[in-house]
Order: sequence, then C-alpha cells, then structure tokens
Amino acid sequence: MSQTHARKVETFTADEARVDWHSAALLALRDKRDLQAKSLPEWEQMRETASRMKLYVLSHLPELLEQFTSNCEANGMEVHWARDAKEHNEIVAGILKERGKKKLVKSKSMLTEEVHLVPHLEKHGIECIETDLGERILQLREEPPSHIVVPAIHLKKEEIGELFHEKIGTQAGASDPTYLTHAARESMRQEFLSADAAMTGVNMAIADEGAFVVCTNEGNADMGAHLPDLHIAVMGMEKLVPDADSAALLMRMLARNATGQPSTSYNSIFGAPRPGCQLHIVIVDNGRSLRMADRRHAEIYKCIRCGACINTCPVYRRGGGHSYDYFIPGPIGLAIAGDNPEANSEAWACTLNGSCNNVCPVKVPLRETIAYHREQLAQQKQLPYHKNAYMPLAGKIFGSPRGLSMAMAAARVGLRIMPQTLQRRIGGWSKSRDFPKPPAESFAHWYRKNRGE
Amino acid sequence: MKIALFIPCLVNHFYPEIARDTLELLEKLGHGVSYTQGQTCCGQLMTNSGCLDQARSSVEALGKALLKEPCDAVVAPAASCVVAARENLERLTSFEDFHSLAGKIFELTEFLHDIAPLDHPLKPLRKTVSLQMSCHGLRQLGLGTASELVVARPVNKLQALLSRIPELTITQPSRDECCGFGGTFSVDERDISGKMANDKVADHLATGAEAIVGYDPSCLMSLGGVVSRKGIPLEVMHFSALLNQVT
Ligand code: SF4
Repeated sequence: MSQTHARKVETFTADEARVDWHSAALLALRDKRDLQAKSLPEWEQMRETASRMKLYVLSHLPELLEQFTSNCEANGMEVHWARDAKEHNEIVAGILKERGKKKLVKSKSMLTEEVHLVPHLEKHGIECIETDLGERILQLREEPPSHIVVPAIHLKKEEIGELFHEKIGTQAGASDPTYLTHAARESMRQEFLSADAAMTGVNMAIADEGAFVVCTNEGNADMGAHLPDLHIAVMGMEKLVPDADSAALLMRMLARNATGQPSTSYNSIFGAPRPGCQLHIVIVDNGRSLRMADRRHAEIYKCIRCGACINTCPVYRRGGGHSYDYFIPGPIGLAIAGDNPEANSEAWACTLNGSCNNVCPVKVPLRETIAYHREQLAQQKQLPYHKNAYMPLAGKIFGSPRGLSMAMAAARVGLRIMPQTLQRRIGGWSKSRDFPKPPAESFAHWYRKNRGE
Repeated sequence: MKIALFIPCLVNHFYPEIARDTLELLEKLGHGVSYTQGQTCCGQLMTNSGCLDQARSSVEALGKALLKEPCDAVVAPAASCVVAARENLERLTSFEDFHSLAGKIFELTEFLHDIAPLDHPLKPLRKTVSLQMSCHGLRQLGLGTASELVVARPVNKLQALLSRIPELTITQPSRDECCGFGGTFSVDERDISGKMANDKVADHLATGAEAIVGYDPSCLMSLGGVVSRKGIPLEVMHFSALLNQVT
C-alpha cells in the first residue's frame, strides 16, 4: 500500500509561497483557456459534438482500428499492434535494433511514460533524448513529469538555470528564460543532427485516411521526424478519429483548452513515409479494452490529453503533480486509475466539485468516474483514511433518528465543554479551522417546544 | 404553497438558526410550512465515500420522515444535501413514493427563484456581502453559471434573489473555485482542504465585503472556521438570514 495522498502532499504544502506560485501558474493557463473558449460562441456545441464523436469511436473501435491499419499500410507505413507495455517496448526495441539504430530523438508522449519505454531502450543500449523542452529538463533532472502538457510546471526558472549550468554549461546564476531556451536549443540541435531514429506520439489517428496528426509548440516532433530515415509513432488505441473533419474539430479545441492558444504552433499530418525512409506506427492496448468494457469507466478514453482538468483542479494545484501515485496526475489520472487498491487514497484526492467536467472539451465524466472508483473500493473494503472502520458505524448512527440525535447532542456538548486550545489539537479539521460554536438545542427540539409535533 | 421543510443533520444540530430563518421566511411569504420529526441525513457522508450500502437506512429514514406530511414541495436550506437526497432516494431505494418525493425536493434558492418566485417587497439593508457560490449548488443544481462554461447569458440565482434587497451591495470573489470542504475531505486531506478554505476566505475578504453569504451550510462552516481561527472581520451567514431580516 502506498502512502496516502494527504501524506504525499505534505512536502509540497509545507512551502505555502511555492504552493501559491504553482497554483497561480496553472490558473494563468485556465484563464487563457477561458478567454479562448469564450472567443468561440459555439464552444459548448463543439464539446457536445466532440464528446459524441469520441463515443462513436469507442463503440466502433474494432472497425476503426482495422480501417486505420489497412489505410496506413496502403500508404506505405508499417503498423504494429501491442497488447501491453511489454509487447510495445519489445516491438520498438526490435524495430530499432534490426536496423542498427543507436540514438532516438523523441517528442513528448505520455504513452511512453505509461509503458516505461526509455529505461527499456537504454537497457538495449539505445540512447533516448527527450526533445520537448519540459521533458528534456526532467530527463536531465531524472524526474518524472508533474503535468501531462506542461511537464516541468513545478520548477522555477532559477532551478532550471542551475540545472542547465551544471548539465549544458550555461552561465552560473543565469535564469533568463530566453537565454536558457536558446541554450537548450543549441544543445538540442546537436542531438537532432546525431540521431538516427525519431519517435513521436500521436494526437489523432485518422482512420479513413490512414494518417495521423502530431501537435507541438516547439516544432521538435517535426525536426526529429524529418531528419533520420526512421520514424516510429506510438499511440494508445483510443487516439482514433473517424475522419479528417473529426480531427479538425479536436484540433480547434486542443490548444485552446490546453494552453489558451488558438492552435499549437506546429501541426503536422503524417500520411506516408518520405522516399527512402520508414514510418512505423505502434498501437497499444495495455489495459484499455478491459477498462472500456466497463461502461462506468469507459468514457475516460474520450480524453484528448489537453490537461485542462488538471489546471482547474484545486487539489492538484495545491498538492503538486508528484503527489499522485499514477503517472498522470489530477482528475483524469484519478479517473483512469483511481480504482487501484494499492493507492486507495487517490480517489479521495478530490472534492467532487465538478470544475473538471466543465472544462473538458470531450465531456469526460471525471467527477462521476472518480465517485465510481470510491464505490468500487468501498465494495472491496479497500477504503483509505480508516473509513473501513468508521463508515459502517456512521451508517448505523445516521440511519437511526434517535441515534443520530444522541450522537449530535453529544458532539455539541463535547464542543461546548472542550476548551478551544484542546479543540485545536484534535488535528484534521482543526489544523486550520475552528469548530463551529454549538447551539444549546437542535432545531427539531426547538420546533417541538415552540410549534408542537 | 404547502411546504415540508427538510432540515439536514448539520443544520438541525449545529445551525438551527438557519432552519428557523428558513421557516420564518417561507411563512412570511405566505406558504404553509411544516416540519416533521425524525429526519436523518441525506446519506452524503457515506455516499461521498462510495459507501452506498451504509447510506441506505439513513436515506430511507429521511424519506419516511418527509412523507409523514403531504406537501407540494420539500424545501431545504442546503444545496449539497438536496443534491444527495434527490440522488440517493432515487438510486438507493426502490419505493415508488420515495422516487416521486425526490422529484419535489428543492434547495431554498431554487425554490424562491424558480418554483415560487419571490415577489414580496423587501426592506432596505445597507450591507456589502460577498456571494459564496458553492460547487454542488453551482454545478449540480445550476444555481449559477460556472465560470468554465461558455454561455451567452450567465445566470446567478442567488444574486438575482438578493439584488431585490434595496441598498444591499453584492460582490463576488474573483473565482468560483471550490472552498475545500468536500465532506470527509476536510479531515482526510487536512492540508489541501485548509489551504483551499484559507484562499477562499482571502478572496472573499479582498472584495471588501462585510459578510460571506451562501446557500451551503457545510461550506459556510468551513469558511467560518477559518474566519474564527484567524480573527478575520467577516460575518459568515446563510442567505436565509438576510432574506428573513428584510421580509
Ligand atoms: S479529461 Fe478532458 S480536460 Fe482532462 S485532459 Fe482529458 S480531455 Fe483534457
């Protein structure tokens, strides 16, 4: 059993100024998102359409997968299907080794985090270079991402300056973002030029075209994919869309919702390998079909990984992305993996406030899915925070009008006689809040006295 | 209208003044109001933690108590309890009468705005209040338009009601973010919850208001706890207190 989420946040929350800084950085994204969304009067209609389109995809996955695969093959690509993480990693390592490749430049992909690809390739002696700036920073720090879109959002520019000074030789004490970015670009250029294979993720896989879309802000995916003669694109099987119009709808929403840009800076559609080059696609299941088979869990696969639910989540912003057990933090992470009994407090790292549902461009029912995981864990008696013990008791007390009123009367008396100083030492609630001042009598009692039965 | 009061456990035992204000207000507005003994909890405490089975007897007891007196509408001064009562009576019980009961439970704001619109002349009140638009009311009951949504004409039913009070100045915090209460979340996740409550109080304070006014007693309890702990010069009150005072 892993530590509870409440415990894991403690290091982060101990530095309140940093919490405020972190929260403000993410709220700035949320604000930019609001501005962009509100610039399109048809926004809510787009969300509904996108949600239905993705539901169509999930309910027609076998056909769409076959259609996509045969169209890709007709376009000269090679398509591989991987049942799980292991198979995925073996396929990728195989493709690279067969061709004697030694160095892979890779753009951002949450899938490769999910399947732990990089350590696997390194074991096979293949060097992997992250080319997304945020991911590169984390690779140099040997740290996992704390966010799916802005993976190094937890770091301050001074910390990045120090890291770059140590790793790529920037001036000591320099923290100017423009200077640091230029330096990163310089050092990255060498990596691009010396790589012999490229990997990208896939934002949308267009079934009826046999093509796929990759969106980045730094152009790093294109820089990578257009130099070496081998490009491997990896995707979870939910990335499918039926046609180009559907992809276009999602492209209109993705960057707006993620970072408040009308569009990502670079949007490339890969439809065939360049002459003399090879283009491989690896499609991964890794537990997706199982989750999709459960109606109350399936809709998480409508997700287009915009990260907006994470930005708006008040718990994530104050607890930081490293406080979660699953590699995807925030509401979507909880909705995907909140049913894991090994990390059973995750599903409770949420107030069920529902802001995530409202920002989601494809209407993933995040709140309801997280609540569902709580039900599942309750049924398995895998509740966190001592709930296995006190919930049945609470059920009994609250289920009896007499029991409830006696318990509440006792609580009132307790709070009245217990000195404030002692109340403050109870912990939990009283760590930052006083208890209410209890009244002498309940409403029910007053009513009976003054108004009769 | 013939109204049955649903007074959730927290209000009954810790904030009876909210129940009295609600009762008096509805009576002044000309409704026949009754209250039946034996009301329990909407089940939220348990269902919020996924413990559906443990909530059933409480929900059934509540349903039974509310059915004792025939009425046109059940009204409660607590948004999250209304959401839970409706949902739980539907999904945890199989008794037809409980299901139809669920359909006529209203939160006080929604009742005064949509069901029996408040058209009484109100006395003036010179005060600046900041609205606490708690999440269940905002996003589940639609008492307002959440800031995430793109809507041509946003609504705010609490503001609409209170703006009928002459001379009252109404402000709102800069964000409609969750106050961090979240039921047992407030205990389980004490650090995050406490920080959220502190941030929310600071946001209310920054509006220059004298009072935080809302429709969800549990959130108000959390904010009130911060106000008291830090000795912040803010009143924390349920909106029924304001309306009852000026009706
Ligand atoms: S669940 Fe929705 S809001 Fe969250 S990352 Fe996925 S698409 Fe974006």
